[in-house]
Amino acid sequence: MLQCIFLLSDSGEVMLEKQLTGHRVDRSICDWFWEQAISQGDSFKLQPVIASPTHYLFQVVREGITFLACTQVEMPPLMAIEFLCRVADVLSDYLGGLNEDVIKDNFVIVYELLDEMIDNGFPLTTEPNILREMIAQPNIVSKVLSVVTGNSSNVSETLPGATASCVPWRTSDPKYANNEVYVDLVEEMDATINRDGVLVKCEIYGEVQVNSHLSGLPDLTLSFANPSILDDVRFHPCVRFRPWESHQILSFVPPDGQFKLMSYRVKKLKSTPIYVKPQLTSDAGTCRVNVMVGIRIDPGKTIDSITIQFKLPPCILSADLTSNHGTVNILTNKTCSWSIGRIPKDKAPSMSGTFVLETGLERLHVFPTFQVSFRIMGVALSGLQIDKLDLKNLPNRPYKGFRALTRAGEFEVRS
Amino acid sequence: MAGIRLHVISSLVLVAVGKCARDPSVYVRKSAANALPKLYDLRLEEHTSAIEEIVGILLNDQSPGVVGAAAAAFASICPSNFSLIERNYRRLCEILPDVEEWGQIILIGILLRFVIARHGLVEESIMFFLHSTKSGKSEKDGEASKISNKEDTGYGSKNDDFGLGADVSGNIDLEFSNMVSRCYIEGPDEYLSRLSYANTGPSELNVAQFTSGKSNDDVKILLQCTSPLLWSHNSAVVLAAAGVHWIMAPMENVKKIVKPLLFLLRSSNASKYVVLCNIQVFAKAMPSLFAPHFEDFFICSSDSYQIKTLKLEILSSIVTESTISFVFKEFQDYIRDPDRRFAADTVAAIGLCSQRLPDTATTCLEGLLALTRQEFLSSDFGSVDGEAGVLIQAIMSIQSIIKQDPPSHEKVIIQLIRSLDSVKVPAARAIIIWMVGEYSSLGETIPRTLSTVLKYLAWHFTSEALETKLQILNSIVKVLLCAEGQDIQSFKRVLNYVLELAECDLNYDVRDRARFLRKILSSNLDSQGLEEETIILSPNKDLAYVLSGHIFGAQTKSSSPEPINYRFYLPGSLSQIVLHAAPGYEPLPKPCSLLRDDNLDQGTNGLERARNSDSFDTDETDSLSGSLDEEGASDYGSEHSISGSNVSGGSNETGSASEGDDNTDPLIQISDVGNAFENQLGVSHSGSADLGELISKRALESWLDDQPNSSNTSTSEQSQVRISTARISIGDIRHQVKSKSYTLLDPANGNGLKVDYSFSSEVSTISPHLVSVEVFFKNCSSETMSDILLEDEESNKDSNSADQTLVATDSSLTSHNNVPILVPIEEITYLEPGQTAKRIIQVRFHHHLLPLKLALSYNGNNLPVKLRPDIGYFVKPLPMNIEAFTDKESRLPGMFEYVRSCTFTDHIGELNKDKGDNLVVKDNFLVICQCLALKMLGNANLFLVSVDMPVSTNLDDASGLRLRFSSEILSNSIPCLITITVEGKCNDPLQVSVKVNCEETVFGLNLLNRVVNFLAESSLSPL
Repeated sequence: MLQCIFLLSDSGEVMLEKQLTGHRVDRSICDWFWEQAISQGDSFKLQPVIASPTHYLFQVVREGITFLACTQVEMPPLMAIEFLCRVADVLSDYLGGLNEDVIKDNFVIVYELLDEMIDNGFPLTTEPNILREMIAQPNIVSKVLSVVTGNSSNVSETLPGATASCVPWRTSDPKYANNEVYVDLVEEMDATINRDGVLVKCEIYGEVQVNSHLSGLPDLTLSFANPSILDDVRFHPCVRFRPWESHQILSFVPPDGQFKLMSYRVKKLKSTPIYVKPQLTSDAGTCRVNVMVGIRIDPGKTIDSITIQFKLPPCILSADLTSNHGTVNILTNKTCSWSIGRIPKDKAPSMSGTFVLETGLERLHVFPTFQVSFRIMGVALSGLQIDKLDLKNLPNRPYKGFRALTRAGEFEVRS
Repeated sequence: MAGIRLHVISSLVLVAVGKCARDPSVYVRKSAANALPKLYDLRLEEHTSAIEEIVGILLNDQSPGVVGAAAAAFASICPSNFSLIERNYRRLCEILPDVEEWGQIILIGILLRFVIARHGLVEESIMFFLHSTKSGKSEKDGEASKISNKEDTGYGSKNDDFGLGADVSGNIDLEFSNMVSRCYIEGPDEYLSRLSYANTGPSELNVAQFTSGKSNDDVKILLQCTSPLLWSHNSAVVLAAAGVHWIMAPMENVKKIVKPLLFLLRSSNASKYVVLCNIQVFAKAMPSLFAPHFEDFFICSSDSYQIKTLKLEILSSIVTESTISFVFKEFQDYIRDPDRRFAADTVAAIGLCSQRLPDTATTCLEGLLALTRQEFLSSDFGSVDGEAGVLIQAIMSIQSIIKQDPPSHEKVIIQLIRSLDSVKVPAARAIIIWMVGEYSSLGETIPRTLSTVLKYLAWHFTSEALETKLQILNSIVKVLLCAEGQDIQSFKRVLNYVLELAECDLNYDVRDRARFLRKILSSNLDSQGLEEETIILSPNKDLAYVLSGHIFGAQTKSSSPEPINYRFYLPGSLSQIVLHAAPGYEPLPKPCSLLRDDNLDQGTNGLERARNSDSFDTDETDSLSGSLDEEGASDYGSEHSISGSNVSGGSNETGSASEGDDNTDPLIQISDVGNAFENQLGVSHSGSADLGELISKRALESWLDDQPNSSNTSTSEQSQVRISTARISIGDIRHQVKSKSYTLLDPANGNGLKVDYSFSSEVSTISPHLVSVEVFFKNCSSETMSDILLEDEESNKDSNSADQTLVATDSSLTSHNNVPILVPIEEITYLEPGQTAKRIIQVRFHHHLLPLKLALSYNGNNLPVKLRPDIGYFVKPLPMNIEAFTDKESRLPGMFEYVRSCTFTDHIGELNKDKGDNLVVKDNFLVICQCLALKMLGNANLFLVSVDMPVSTNLDDASGLRLRFSSEILSNSIPCLITITVEGKCNDPLQVSVKVNCEETVFGLNLLNRVVNFLAESSLSPL
């Protein structure tokens, strides 16, 4: 069981310490951790499970904030990591982002949240909807109120009814004037294109996100037109397994508000919407670069926010890059980013330039990997289609909305 | 309220919790369940049973939310109290999908343990497959007779029925996964330690421990209920469920876990690493499982370095003939990655792949050679460290490929030798030169090129790096030794030249090596021109050859990558990630350790039957056990009709003690009062209680069944050779123990008064903080001495009166402050010349290392003396049996375990003495055991738990001899365990490694140092 949770800022300062059991964990463990992190560099910061001399540490890094959990005994490591991820999600949801200042401003809320989320080292309530009911979200009104009344607690007086019901994720009896439910398909495309321009791997990781504002205790059924393309799925606890096993139908009582109903994976796609063709030729200490970008298959909607990023290899002294469309920036950590935006109709965007190599180096022998990001609204590239959404147990006809979005996940082009 | 950690109110809280546990509100009951671990944490013994009772009530609850919390409480309070689970097993399984996610994780683990404990492993699962194939046909027969009609055909027809199943099983790395499954059940530490002295790990799980997954409803329901959890969005739940399927599911269904596991890779970076660690083990045990999904392990540039290396390792273990081309294409891309460390790893992975698939070796070699050619273009500058790493790795991979089949890769070697000119990295050059030496006589072309190569090397010798210089020397010698014909002359000249150069080298290593070689080869070099051909036969040369062979053998080993680690823990556990058993790690329970009273169940039935068959048919049990050594053992035993209860070997396998208890255990007991060497080794029939424990501990070990008294010592030796391991109990060895005495006061300083002291093994009755010390006063002068008194220096300052000292010490004793105290001794009023008086004082030391200052007064004088503590006497013997010992030991791993080794020589004298004295040959092992035990007991206050003997074919090899001692620290009763393992030949100095397991880290370390010190210091005679 977890014994303690620390939140460290990116300068190593202990922002928050939450002891969970009677066995106190000394703060010095953080000092040890930070010393190691400094001496071993980045690779240490990415190591999720660390065995320190006295404790086992689990770390999750989100936006520069390190969530550190300590234990001394055997426990499933994924449980700790998953929990820390949840904490991070909930905090960023509550505070509208995660950074040092916002956590320091909202100490009370963070502590209250942790109190509810974990007890005696064992996770308790992690469902964001329920938490929101127990602890009010910070806003201006509550701040003013607390200043005026001097009552600093924003833990609600009553227990959320859901804890007792058979659907612990749903608030007991919400009432809405107009019933709405929105279903979004959010997909991320992971692709790897190797040096020869061959598509090595292309798959879609998608989520079905539902935003429901429905009164009473509705029962929803969602079916897909082509469920067979799904390679693998994962569900929110509210989904009943039986109907999915037999008919591939999602049947569930939704939580209130926004939640992730299901995530899925579609493998072995045949093509990508855009192509990126990098060419590097090096000779006599300089290297010529030319990157071409264009649309391979028109998805029917505009592709926007196209950016291409790559890290300059360490042996490059200086780089000079220009493009005929969009802007090119070279950041301090030797990352080069070319933001294109939309691809214009009349010309194919290209970036070209030269690298000056280290003295003595004739040719470039290591090649950077280009990371591509883009966004397409209104299309689910996997081809997954929602067939219908049935609602039962509802007093009046609700409004149903569907949206789709595809963006690039780990889309890499090697050169 | 339970969070208030006050012992005073805990009983009140307990009552409240008990009330709440029956409350109508779900939330209240859930809170009650949450409060239980907190209460338990206060460690009030009297509440334990009450708490467990409440846990039972809560587990019985109808609401899933309550059950989840109760499961967590169960896991932290009484994880082995399976009777609570038994009552509700079925309902718990059914409710499992509805329990909240965090509770699911815990509950899955509990249910898995329960099913294993109750029914044993599933016979269609991977785990079973390994055992059955390993122990061979006899077991199959046994199985057929045991498991009723439907199932016995199941095994035989399995290969036909599931076409894929057979296919899959063919690909399983049997050795490897066998090890994995063993580790799951026994915990790796124990398993490995056993491996180290019993090299042939006896196959140990009887068929009776398996149950059929098809016919057993309990197993079926667990699998059924966990399979939807593979779709959970909590990655920990998925992994826990996957672990259940991995261990329990029939082979053809294990595939189910693949996709969910791979899907987990898409979740956060941190969990990705953990999941990959687990997949790695799965993939190594059963590569076919993940082989079709190799694309998922392709590397993204955003992966961290650890993840990249894990993925590479998995890729290289799952690659198959059909996929190798894709994988190699990927690898080619990786080699160009800017992260050179990763590129080097990739090159190593290529080497691994080609070792797995020998057909691809040529392709790999071509690729690697091309790489070395490319690399030296850039490595000319030597500016980038990483480049050198890649190059070295490439050449190492080539080397390992060549090693598999040298004759067919002759050309590659030549190409490498050619590239010597351009390869500049010293380590890489050294490896190439090594190859020159190693394969100098290979094929046709290489010998012809040799003279040129050697001349080239000699020419460049002065400009080489240290590493390369040494390798050049070695290689030239090797070449010379293998060479034939006229070349020898020129080689000798080259060698002479190089040796001369080397002897003037700046580095002393090179100079040493050169002198050494010259000495060894002196005859060879001197005889230059006199005799040429005959010299090959000279012994000197042979020696040299052997020597150089040794040197090179060592180097080969170190350079070949051996990435396999042999420690496996349960999937999804913390220990698997950190690769040592975290405190609180429990391996799976022993299969079928939990028996039901009403044995209507099929699994139990089978077990019952197995037992019956065991009891009336000794032969069958032997064939069942299937291990060579043991058959001999029991045959032998019955021959000599010691007790006629040899069945133990076979019936042990059921893992239950019920039958074993009746058996008498013929242990060797050395009854050695007075004269230990008269071989009064009797058979003790008192060990039955012991046996029960021992049986369940090491189910398949056979026991030393012989009766080595003086009449048949020769046979005893014979039997020892046959039996794989034996455990002897050395009887009253304490009588021989003589503790060491130290000098407190020298007669020269003390006007003729000599004071010696020695630590006694008696434990103080007054306070646990006191150590008993025997003090001997001897008057060496010619005058009578009077009023000798030893007392605490501090109190002495206060007053000289003995009475007051007494008061002072008393008060300090009761107040338990840290002042060192001395329970006073009676004053010795008169001590005549030559007379000795003995007193026992009880001292409380400040610290176990710092000396204690005392004041010695006699004849009216006051002398300050220092009493040096001996950490060996800060412990007291803690009697326990071997089972308790191993159990404790397994709970004190990792940070609480320290190992050091030293050399032990005492026994040599003893052995030599024996040769002269006794006509009857004494067993060498016994002598060594005795020496070691005496030394240990003579220097520290310990309890000898057990002595394990290795029995190898070689009577002279004492490796694997193991002694276990237990003790507890005086002041706080923390147990402290010592294990001594011996390596080496009987008649040589032994390499002894001492391991201390103790929660008190500092104390443990100090004790270890002390033990090592006194073991290493040689005494002429310990007796």
